[in-house]
Amino acid sequence: MAEGNPKTFLAGAALVWRWQRLVWWIFVLSMVLGSYATKRMVDRAEPTLDHSLQSAPRLVHSFDLTAIAELSNQPDSPLEGPGHAGLHFSVIYMVFMLFATGGILVAYYRDERPTTGAFFEACGYHFWRFFRLLLYFALALIPTAILASIVRAVYSRIAEKSISPMPSVYFFCAAAVVILFLLIVTRLWFDMAQVIAVAEDEKKMRRALKISAGLLRRHFGSLFWLYFRISLIAWIIFGLGVYVWSHSLPPESTTTAFVLGQLVILSWIGTRLWQRASEALWYRKYRESAVVPPAYSPAPEPSPATYATAMN
Amino acid sequence: MRRITCVSIFAAIALLAAPGLSEAVPQASATKPAPPAPAEVHQTLSTRIVAYDIDAKLDATNHTIDATESLTYRNVTGQPQQTFPFHLYLNAFQPQSTFMTEVRLVGTRGTGPDAGWDKKHEGGIEVSKFEVEGAGDLTSKMEFIHPDDNNTNDRTVFQVTLPKPVAPGASVQFHISFHDKLPEVLHRTGYKRDFVMVGQWFPKVGVWWKNAWNCHQFHANSEFFADFGTFDVKLTLPQNEIVGAGGDLVSSANNADGTKTVAFHSEDVHDFSWTASPSYTVIEDSWTGSAGTVQIHLLMSPGNMATAPRYMQAAKGTLDLYDKWIGPYPYDRLTLVDPPHGASDAGGMEYPTLITLGTNWNMPKGALIPEVVTNHEFGHQYWYGMVATNEFEEAWLDEGINSYMEAKTMDALYGKDTSSLNFPFAKVGERGQLRVFYLMAPDTDPLTHFAWKFLDDSAYGAVTYGKTATVLLTLEKIIGEDKMREALHVYFLRYRFQHPTGEDFLKTIEEVSGQNLRWYFDQAVSGTNMLDYEILDVHSDPVVWWEKQPKKPAGKQDDTVYRNFVTLHRKGDFVFPVDVEIKFDNAPAVIEHWDGKDRWIRYEYERKAKVVSAEIDPTHGVWLDRNLFNNSYTVEPDQRAIHKLSNIWLFAAEWFQQMLAWLT
Repeated sequence: MAEGNPKTFLAGAALVWRWQRLVWWIFVLSMVLGSYATKRMVDRAEPTLDHSLQSAPRLVHSFDLTAIAELSNQPDSPLEGPGHAGLHFSVIYMVFMLFATGGILVAYYRDERPTTGAFFEACGYHFWRFFRLLLYFALALIPTAILASIVRAVYSRIAEKSISPMPSVYFFCAAAVVILFLLIVTRLWFDMAQVIAVAEDEKKMRRALKISAGLLRRHFGSLFWLYFRISLIAWIIFGLGVYVWSHSLPPESTTTAFVLGQLVILSWIGTRLWQRASEALWYRKYRESAVVPPAYSPAPEPSPATYATAMN
Repeated sequence: MRRITCVSIFAAIALLAAPGLSEAVPQASATKPAPPAPAEVHQTLSTRIVAYDIDAKLDATNHTIDATESLTYRNVTGQPQQTFPFHLYLNAFQPQSTFMTEVRLVGTRGTGPDAGWDKKHEGGIEVSKFEVEGAGDLTSKMEFIHPDDNNTNDRTVFQVTLPKPVAPGASVQFHISFHDKLPEVLHRTGYKRDFVMVGQWFPKVGVWWKNAWNCHQFHANSEFFADFGTFDVKLTLPQNEIVGAGGDLVSSANNADGTKTVAFHSEDVHDFSWTASPSYTVIEDSWTGSAGTVQIHLLMSPGNMATAPRYMQAAKGTLDLYDKWIGPYPYDRLTLVDPPHGASDAGGMEYPTLITLGTNWNMPKGALIPEVVTNHEFGHQYWYGMVATNEFEEAWLDEGINSYMEAKTMDALYGKDTSSLNFPFAKVGERGQLRVFYLMAPDTDPLTHFAWKFLDDSAYGAVTYGKTATVLLTLEKIIGEDKMREALHVYFLRYRFQHPTGEDFLKTIEEVSGQNLRWYFDQAVSGTNMLDYEILDVHSDPVVWWEKQPKKPAGKQDDTVYRNFVTLHRKGDFVFPVDVEIKFDNAPAVIEHWDGKDRWIRYEYERKAKVVSAEIDPTHGVWLDRNLFNNSYTVEPDQRAIHKLSNIWLFAAEWFQQMLAWLT
């Protein structure tokens, strides 16, 4: 059984390393979109900053927030509009990742190097399924959102009644852990549904979710631990990166800061793919070791020939 | 540990000797002799016009106060007075008051506009009996007036006409019974759980000023104005309450019904406020300055204890600098109140010898909010407390001068560039923060507007606090920092306890500096002129521009003669003389002085050198300039700033992408 195999965690990392081209491509795309999101700000702020003797002492040698406020206060407000651009490009990235997930999971599940054509075909093949899953995911988050609003109300009530602020703070921390746990479990549930959709070529996403829920219930410990460990690593790297950036790098550093910032993003992408690879591997091993009758009828329509040819 | 050591030492000393002990030490038995009558029997700091004697009982469950007030008013107006106006500030907390109407329209202290109405914020003060010594019960003669607007529903000012006038030099005694209903903390005052902050809570007589009664309604954006005198206040409240007040504790006695009565005395002040909560932790300390020792009572709310040393350090540091720069602090006490969580609106406020602060349980050390609040509110002891200008009509004289001093003292205590925010990754200095505040509304209103006549709450704050401080910082550029400090010192010593006007302040600066500064005051104080200079153009052109320039041999000096042009532009309508420093690549720098009267000026230099950079105000003293980035121009671009900014922006954008992608 997969949960009995302690190497899934490391094997997932090896899988990401083996098909690291995926990480690099996604990273490059993220950087390109991020650069576009940044370009408008640069275009508008550059004429103000590049030729002013105020820029270096206020923004380079230290980071004086009043300089940022003053920049925002300029007649053409260089920092105002570009914020929206950031949102737009993030949505583009999100849609791309929704699109790419099919190809990524096929590559990881089969542990084969896909051709570019095959990769994108797999992406397209699974896109609408995953889009439906995204909608279900939004629905699945509703109870957590309701819980969050209840937590907020209870937090306010405790804060209102309590002489010390600490009981409400402790409650908030405890509630945050619970909400975080629910978010992770929900994500894991949908992650596994995506893996099942790819592995079993399942077209009905509700059925994929049902199977995924069953798997999660039966193997909760191993799946949760698999996901959580990698998340923890991602957050530790993120925290360390931000700490080094803000506390250890000299304020004048731009190249090192750029490299550090991008390494953090790269690690974030890498760890997310590590989760996906581990989940795919876990499921493959689960299928290989489990002697169980098919839980459902195969999908009536065969996979497109192009996909099968390309991916085999 | 630090707290325990400090408290134990000072509590022991204070119990034996200190008259300024707050109710924080309930067993205190130190008493003072009965206060003198309003007609002074010894040298006093102020001309004592009023003597309030208040006996109040707090209903801690219903958050109400029942009280009687005896007010002796000494007529020093030089003419007979028959009609007396009184403030009933607590009536502002009613939906139809002028205060709430203005909050709905323009907001105040971070609330509104369009703020909703919550019944728990309703407060009020009812006068049940109004008697005048020798004239009997005049309750029926009370008449609400609205000197500032036509809002007949506003009940924050009433007046009473006596049967016969009070002669010049004579006194009149009013006996008033009143009932307060405290709101849940709103705009400085009220209750929160077991905490009460009681300010502006009793009928307070107006001020005879500029040959007329000055008794404005309570407005969304205005503070207070009152005459100096003495206060003797008895408070009866539950025995478990720890009390802090703007007065010396005179006595404390437990009553049979589970209450206790504490009595306070205060003199040469114009207001009296108090606070109570069973949850306070009290820290006692002291500071000694040129006028003697000051007992500092710090009342900390639960959860905030980590901030206590920061409050205390800021208070002592500020006391030191004010004592050194401005003048002595003449009172023997200072009470610092840390409001509990959820009652922050009671924080950040000044009353004579009592100030309210603000923090929270997880205040990072790099955020100097507790220090700034302590510094700012203490500064008010000088400008609002002792100089006591009219905050309704000339708020800039208190808030503005105080904000300027906040910048000076915080910079001296915590570093010029780190006095507001001091994190490894981001820093803000006080003067920079005040300047940003000014930039929020640089030209909407002159400083001299009445407090409620600003465009909105934001403009009131930006102009009264931020712009005034920036105007005074820029004034240092004209008269020098030392003269500026000397002017404030003279102004304080000359006008403390006097209710001076803005004109008194401006004249003092002119007198001390020996300069006619009307050109500046007309634009910066009473005008709304915008100050913005820019380097419009910098370029260097070979004199023999039509001939091809020979290539400069390596290591040899460029012998080409250039005609260099630097053009300065006054973008705003504020005329201000400025210096400009022009640097060359192969010649000494030049400093020019431009009177700024024309819209632009062009300087021309023929040198065997090219201009490298030009900078207006190279010593960085013109803080009023609304755009400091365009004050300089370097021929060669320096892209480090934009690279740094774009790094941060890029990282944030990519990070946000990853967060969204998690949903897929």
